[in-house]
Amino acid sequence: MVKHIIPDTLSEALKYLYQGDFQVFAGGTDLMVQNRSWSETSIEFTKNMLYCFNLQELKGITAIDGRIEIGAMTPLETIMNHPDVPSLLSEAIGEMASPAIRHIATLAGNIGNASPAGDSLPVLILYDAWVELRNMAGFRMILLKDLIIGPRKTVMHPEEMIVKIVIPKHRFDFERFVKVGGRKADAISKVSFAGAVDIEDGKIADLRLTFGAVGKTVVRNETVEGAWIGMTISELKNGIWRLIDMYDPLILPIDDQRSNKHYRKTVAINLLRDFVDQL
Amino acid sequence: MAIVKFTLNHQPVTVQSDLNRRLLDVIRNDFNLKGLKEGCGEGECGACAVLINHEIVNSCLFVLANVEGKEVITIEEFAKTKRFTVIKEAFAKMGAVQCGFCTPGMVIATESLLHKNPHPTEMEIKVALSGNLCRCTGYNMIVEAIQEAAKAGEGLW
Amino acid sequence: MQKDISISVNKIDNYEKISGCAKYVNDVEIEGALYAKTFRSPIISGEIVSITVPKLPDGYFAVDYRDVPGKNGVKIIKDDMPIFAEKILRYFGEPILLIVGPQKSVVQSLINKIILETKLIEPIYDESNIAINYHYEKGNPQNAFSSANRIFEYTYQTGYQEQAYIEPQGMIGYSEGDKITLIGSIQCPYYVKNAVLLALGCSSEQVRIIQPAVGGAFGGKEEFPSLMGCQLAVAINKIHKPIRLIYEREEDIEVTTKRHPAIIRMKAAVDSDNSLVAISSDIRLDGGAYLGLSNVVLSRAMIATTGAYTIPNVDCSGIVYLTNTVPNGAFRGFGAPQIFYAVEMFLNHIAKDLGIDPLDFKMKHLAKQGDLTSTSGTFRDPILMNDLIKRALEISDYRRKSQKYKLENQLRGMGISLFFHGCGFTGSGEATIIKAQVKLHKDEQDNVDILIAAVDMGQGVRTTMSKIVAHTLGIPMDKVRFPYPDTDFVPDSGPTVASRTTMIVGGLVAKAAQKMHDRWQNGVADTVIEQYVQPDYIVWDEATFHGDAYPAYSWGVNIVDVSVDKVTNQVTLEEAWSVYDLGKAIDDLVIKGQAEGGITQGFAYGYLENMEVKNGKVRQKNMTDYIIPTALDTTKITTELIDNPHAGGPYGAKGAGELTLIGGAPAVAMAIENAIFRRVHNIPVTPESIMELIEYGNR
Repeated sequence: MVKHIIPDTLSEALKYLYQGDFQVFAGGTDLMVQNRSWSETSIEFTKNMLYCFNLQELKGITAIDGRIEIGAMTPLETIMNHPDVPSLLSEAIGEMASPAIRHIATLAGNIGNASPAGDSLPVLILYDAWVELRNMAGFRMILLKDLIIGPRKTVMHPEEMIVKIVIPKHRFDFERFVKVGGRKADAISKVSFAGAVDIEDGKIADLRLTFGAVGKTVVRNETVEGAWIGMTISELKNGIWRLIDMYDPLILPIDDQRSNKHYRKTVAINLLRDFVDQL
Repeated sequence: MAIVKFTLNHQPVTVQSDLNRRLLDVIRNDFNLKGLKEGCGEGECGACAVLINHEIVNSCLFVLANVEGKEVITIEEFAKTKRFTVIKEAFAKMGAVQCGFCTPGMVIATESLLHKNPHPTEMEIKVALSGNLCRCTGYNMIVEAIQEAAKAGEGLW
Repeated sequence: MQKDISISVNKIDNYEKISGCAKYVNDVEIEGALYAKTFRSPIISGEIVSITVPKLPDGYFAVDYRDVPGKNGVKIIKDDMPIFAEKILRYFGEPILLIVGPQKSVVQSLINKIILETKLIEPIYDESNIAINYHYEKGNPQNAFSSANRIFEYTYQTGYQEQAYIEPQGMIGYSEGDKITLIGSIQCPYYVKNAVLLALGCSSEQVRIIQPAVGGAFGGKEEFPSLMGCQLAVAINKIHKPIRLIYEREEDIEVTTKRHPAIIRMKAAVDSDNSLVAISSDIRLDGGAYLGLSNVVLSRAMIATTGAYTIPNVDCSGIVYLTNTVPNGAFRGFGAPQIFYAVEMFLNHIAKDLGIDPLDFKMKHLAKQGDLTSTSGTFRDPILMNDLIKRALEISDYRRKSQKYKLENQLRGMGISLFFHGCGFTGSGEATIIKAQVKLHKDEQDNVDILIAAVDMGQGVRTTMSKIVAHTLGIPMDKVRFPYPDTDFVPDSGPTVASRTTMIVGGLVAKAAQKMHDRWQNGVADTVIEQYVQPDYIVWDEATFHGDAYPAYSWGVNIVDVSVDKVTNQVTLEEAWSVYDLGKAIDDLVIKGQAEGGITQGFAYGYLENMEVKNGKVRQKNMTDYIIPTALDTTKITTELIDNPHAGGPYGAKGAGELTLIGGAPAVAMAIENAIFRRVHNIPVTPESIMELIEYGNR
């Protein structure tokens, strides 16, 4: 018999997580589709469900000390419209699903679902976002890129839940996010790309490049990025084929009902080249 | 089974039921309000749209457990307002209704938009409608209807 | 009374639909109704060895082919589709039985526990099982080809298209005594009735079909609901309780009828002054597992094989082959979208090969009044294509933009399509098959009821028909009522298909209204019945495809401006223009709605909607994966009409429902071709295909 619990507080939720085999349910926009059953019947969840969407402690956005902290249960639309949220993240959210879904879907849900095509992930990982995980005993911080290790796989322990997403506050000199879906709204990504560059004294001080939906997880390689630090923009542009060669073995898309490998890979590389072209 | 308390169409209601039910089914079956429709059951078509705390939400994806303490408005209740009358006249005037199955959802999307943004641009209207699928009209006449409603209803939003 | 009928009125169902009060089938409540779910074949092709249904609790039933009192075949044309599979399974999802009961969760768990033992049979996906084979000729094509100056030959392919009506298929029903009533989301009440009569082997008074509000159909609810109706009627006949059979969306996409994918080989003979003297075409439609209406779809495609052009010599062959895939069926256009895509692209390609402007080449061959049609009938009525083209070129600035985009070579292109749609059933179908009848009834309060079987599925027929009556009688619209069709009260005015409703049924209604007008007495009840009479100049030989296929033709021009993204190869529709001759608009806004909705579906058929059936299964089987346009995918559309009143239609109206979809795909395909400087042969032209064309395609 599957249990359905609405915890009143975060600590109550953590207690339940500790005791039983519970799935944290945030906005539910992924879980409701994945577990759908015949119309009018109760949804057939296979794990006990912990409905945390209304925990006020987990809602809200604060800017402190050079970082933005986003409560796990904050709806995407609220995040998108918040003035302190990095504009690249707002852009990415704006291309997710639809307003109706954004009013209830959460970043925690997008992260916990860990889909290779999750749209917020390339931007969050570009920003070196952290996730705070809590369990009954305490908490730990983990980089988002270390949290997700494969399609629908995270390193979260069963008694842990995401309580906030922390993004170092920084505005890059150049930032770009592109989502390539099947149509102009309400689409699952075939490929996505996020890029950011900081220039200091005419030289690249920071370069970040992430690709979504073209691998088991978001593709980001700091070694490749680091190889270009200290170069000028024109050296980067002149070295574009070398840069592309570095990403070639890292971009490993699949064929599925939405698109094919060749298209996804070519577009991913095109997006990279276009980003560099426009610098 | 559990108890969930929320406000439905300005009335406080208590539902004793399984928590793992879709709000769509609770509204249509428990409260017998048939204005919202099931078009896809996967949050793509928007025919099931309701206003929750005055924002558009797909009721096919909204679980009963999450509706605790919220204010839900369906098309039946919204139809009692002056703003609805303006929207209704605009939709009729611009020929924005064909089979009508997407229409209640489009009206909800319109209210959700104009409530936040009484003077939307064409692009803002299209974004507001981006989660409501229509197969009959090609959307332009619906966009025109919303532009007409925003103009005719000046001051109401 | 208004002088011009075209002036728009408030549609009679606007308010009920906008306020959410309109009742679609799943909104109709029946007390004590049971729920039915279909148990479907999990294999692509094979034989049932055994079925073990779990022990059914009290009040739960299984309904299968043994419960069919009459014929286990759905009455469409050949009745080859069983109501419930008996032994052979021919497609993934083929219905085997219904489980019916009061609680859905129990019904579902019973379905999950059914054990089916099967013996697999090698599935067929190729053309080895040919069910229909047609051929016709005009003039002397063999001569023309042998003496041709040049011969061109190209192949074109079109994909599946899913109707994606926002209201899924559904039907409910109940019995009272020995009478069964079904309420369904349908286009053709009498198709369903006649199918149920065959399934139950009962008499006409024992079956009643009622249509509630219908949330879109586009042909998808033309013949498919007959299958549901038979299953439901058989179940109600067995159980004697009300039952609801409402499909889930994924179920609907996976198993209901789609637009036939087509492979069309076109060959043309061109003489030394660049005139097209002969066309030879080979049209191949994948019918899926059962024939259904496929032969009629093929006929329509074959009849339109010369497009909007007069070509003196024609050799046209067509086949429908059956495969172990979802049975295909009616979808707005019904064979025309496929063939007009092929013909338009073909003439475009021939012109490019000849070094001639494609539009000039096409205009040289445009059909004119008095010309022989492809089937050696006659275009009796004026054809205003030159005026339509002229106006379309004006409002779009097509010539200048085409040239500009070509020179700039910046992935931007214009496309134009020229097309027609034959209004009404092919040939003598109206006289020999449908035999439409309409009824008008006036009560003592001088209200007039329109009693016809025409279904308003969004195209506005309840309003346009009411306008015709109100105008003819000279009474206000609110004295005219058009109740939802109910076969107990309305005669069979024929199915709501083939762009026949306004012209044929509306024509009869106008005649009936005129009769009522001429003998009108205030306060005196009156009933007028009008029967269809085929004009005797329409002569059609179905066996040889010879004569007048249609009584009238509506014509159109579509122009579209597209851009292709350099980085992602995604297509953006920049703007679109259309000009139509559909005789006369009964309501301008209704026609504008049809025009914009139709072209949107047509464009999407050309570049956006992609359905692959791989190893017998539909790959894109929900609204997430099967992509239809959203509000952000639309573009500015300008539509104009040129009146060309047709004597045989009410107030001069011809057919409009399907015309507006036909031109979208060829226009957009051509625009993309011009933008990327590569020949397009297959639709949909997805970004993936564009990438492949840019890399490997022919210039």
